[in-house]
Amino acid sequence: MTHPSEPLSALLDGELTEPDRTRVVDHLSTCHACRDELNELHSARASVRSLPLLDLPSGLSPVEKGVAEVLSLRRRPPAWVAAAAAAILALFIGVATILAPPTSLEVRLDQLSDQYGARTSLEPAITPRTPLQVIDRVAGPIE
Amino acid sequence: MLEDAPLTWEEVARAYGRKIYNFAYRLTGNADHAADLTQEVLLRVKKGLAGYRPGSFEGWLWRITRNAFLDDTRRRKRRPTAPLPEEIDRVASYSSPAPDQVLAAVRLGDDIQAALLELPYDFREAVVLCDIVGLSYEEISAAIAAPIGTVRSRIHRGRKMLKERLQ
Ligand SMILES: [Zn+2]
Repeated sequence: MTHPSEPLSALLDGELTEPDRTRVVDHLSTCHACRDELNELHSARASVRSLPLLDLPSGLSPVEKGVAEVLSLRRRPPAWVAAAAAAILALFIGVATILAPPTSLEVRLDQLSDQYGARTSLEPAITPRTPLQVIDRVAGPIE
Repeated sequence: MLEDAPLTWEEVARAYGRKIYNFAYRLTGNADHAADLTQEVLLRVKKGLAGYRPGSFEGWLWRITRNAFLDDTRRRKRRPTAPLPEEIDRVASYSSPAPDQVLAAVRLGDDIQAALLELPYDFREAVVLCDIVGLSYEEISAAIAAPIGTVRSRIHRGRKMLKERLQ
């Protein structure tokens, strides 16, 4: 197999379907260069995801009334996504541990399982603050 | 699942206002621009919600957001007196209760935000929708009206460009 490049990002995002996923994971178990690339992509991805979630400016924080409702609307990835990801990564890391010293593989299961949490990472930081000023403001004419 | 739930405008505003603001902020690095855009999007959602038919709610919402963003960007280009986007400090004057905290948080991600702003728009948008907003490739594809293959390639190339700039 030629070195997969684009599929590595898709793998990190849980966006590869079978049989591509198995092919890529198998390739990773034997190809050091691709594992390095995977680690680089993982770190770029993690950088963006590490950016702090900013609060809405006060005039705009409307919107945060009824945190319970917000939480009940929170998107969750289906359970099978997390389960499938965990299974694949367990396999992947298992293979990698056999073939390489453990330190060579910086992408770890706990980090990678974070990514599935990251799909919902915008919500948990939402805290109750200013009540509904914005609804009026937004509903009114724009200056 | 959201796909099935009929949402009121208030629910959309509460659930997505902050995401929309962060989307716009990470695309522009500018707090004023992001705040204006958030208002504009919520207004468009309010007008459009009655016409929304069950389908990909995320795709619908983020298509509105993206169009509002592009319109807003075009408007700003026509008004050359408007301040330039890359003024990260402005967030301090805009955010209320703990400006120091916000500023510190923003500073922490300064280099990453700067690297993001250097990416060509298409790549920045794909990365932000994926890694800040948390959309699936399919939802991004609906939001930007481009095939999934394009989404996948932009996210990947965007990350590679970021990696180069962050080294
Ligand atoms: Zn390879």
